[in-house]
Amino acid sequence: MALPPDRIDYLPIIDRPIIKWPNDARVAVWISPNVEHYEYQPPNEGVRNPWPRTPYPDVQQFSYRDYGNRIGFWRMLEPLDKHGIRCCISLNLAVLEHFPEIAEAMMERDYDYMSHGIYNTRYLYTCTEDEEREFYRDCIDTLKRHTGKPLKGMLGPAISGSVHTPDLMAEAGLIYHTDWFHDDQPTPIKVNSGKLISVPYSIELNDSSVLRDNHYNAQYFADICKAQFDRLYEEGGDSGRVMCIALHPFIIGQPHRIKYLDDILGYIMSHDGVWQTTADDIADYYIANYYDEAITHARRLAEASGK
Amino acid sequence: MPAQRTFGMDHPHHEWSPLINRSTLRWPDNAAVALCVIVPLEHMEWEAPAGSFQVARLAGGSAPREFPDYARLSHREYGHRVGIFRLLDVLEKYGVRATIAMDALTAEHYPYLVRHCLDRGCEFIAHGISVSRMITSNMSESEERDYIGASLQAIEKATGAAPRGWFGPEYGESDRTPQLLAEAGLTYVCDWANDEQPYPMTTGGNPFFALPLMYELDDVVSISHKLMPVFDYERMLWESFDVMKEDGANTGRIMAVNWHPWLVGQPFRIGSIDRALSYIMSQGGVWAATGSEIIDWYRQQAG
Repeated sequence: MALPPDRIDYLPIIDRPIIKWPNDARVAVWISPNVEHYEYQPPNEGVRNPWPRTPYPDVQQFSYRDYGNRIGFWRMLEPLDKHGIRCCISLNLAVLEHFPEIAEAMMERDYDYMSHGIYNTRYLYTCTEDEEREFYRDCIDTLKRHTGKPLKGMLGPAISGSVHTPDLMAEAGLIYHTDWFHDDQPTPIKVNSGKLISVPYSIELNDSSVLRDNHYNAQYFADICKAQFDRLYEEGGDSGRVMCIALHPFIIGQPHRIKYLDDILGYIMSHDGVWQTTADDIADYYIANYYDEAITHARRLAEASGK
Repeated sequence: MPAQRTFGMDHPHHEWSPLINRSTLRWPDNAAVALCVIVPLEHMEWEAPAGSFQVARLAGGSAPREFPDYARLSHREYGHRVGIFRLLDVLEKYGVRATIAMDALTAEHYPYLVRHCLDRGCEFIAHGISVSRMITSNMSESEERDYIGASLQAIEKATGAAPRGWFGPEYGESDRTPQLLAEAGLTYVCDWANDEQPYPMTTGGNPFFALPLMYELDDVVSISHKLMPVFDYERMLWESFDVMKEDGANTGRIMAVNWHPWLVGQPFRIGSIDRALSYIMSQGGVWAATGSEIIDWYRQQAG
């Protein structure tokens, strides 16, 4: 992208350094359940209304999402455990404080976590730079306090951000941002200091967009997840690819949908050459092995184009 | 109710011409269907300039979000980085050369893509300045002339040749656009989705033609806006082809599709394009051609 916001160098996928994943895997597959809390009486900062349907509270919409924490999460764990999936949770960090049983269940399974903000009803759009700095400190401290783990990445709360977000993330020591959907591989993001990359998350293979917003059925979700895997698996023979499936317990954890998650995971895990991993591990591996090469290569391409 | 209820169209851009009144159209080798694959390479701007117009449901990013919308911007960028190469590979597999509708920002800032499409033998047509700035009647005539001129110059500078075809971002036109496009030296326009054959437009100057797209075969229309499952879209492509091939035995048809690399170039969608093309290209009676090839043949047939 040679154009604003000028965060990502243009790198065509057919002309870049070859990525080799651990054990020559073709595809790094990460599963990202969004474990969230939507507040009963959130603040409305005027940019995006968390509950636009009614004056607050909106018990129907609040409780539909809360169902995810009371019921859906636990049902979702069954197929995840059955197929030995180690998740990278997209986490509203306040969940660790409100719902300790969920925190324990995730820690027992040695999941990784990226920040998905504090609550899914508080967005980054209206933050000043200092408020956003304080937000990262809060996210980092809360995760460390409850899980002992360092925070490495973020999917913006409800995929919100500010123009400063990548710079402030890197300044806080985070290494990956998943609000970018431009690629099937990690790519460097330009920041003022430090190193930040994009790890491909998905708004296409996402139960929220496919099953909730867009009203497709769960069989279709399973079909497109398998089609996505097949294609990336084929291409991953040349250079490693990343595939993410994004889940929400209140959506995929509905009784009529859960068997399709089992079906998807069973299909993927029946293949050799799959690195079932987390965004934390993908980011560490990419930065250690390919970050510098990608920067050098992008510079070479730009020079060859006379840019 | 001021409209004049008189014979024919309620605008001056083309004649009323129902299919039954036309002479027979034959394609090369008596093909029934001319397949034209239009591939838009359009840049979504981070912040569109003040006063520019966007349709309310501009596709990308799954759902509308507030600024800064990293999701939609980057979802669109996927086409330029990844999807285009998948799509062109599938087209090449079946011997189909794309008609690339490229906007000025892409032509100026993505020289790698320009070169890649030139190497694949694609035709380039002009596609405005960016998808976040479409032509509407809000533009003054001079603004619209400048906009068209900037778009044409960007393609000519990037590719070394002046484009002959035009496709406005989001099919955007004012009531002056066909005239201005013809005056700018263009030969054909793809904004009008009202036919299955080329037809002349009445611009009063140089000969100027419509190369009609099939609205429902536009992937953004059917997949992004109407939320059609991609496997149904695939089925719609080959079912459309079957009927057009049958009808085309009497008089030739154009099956012009619009395939966005950021959308059908996604890993889980490209297989549907591959299977649909495999079916269409194996049936016989199809002439895969670029926009200019179709218009040139049509002009020669029409005398």
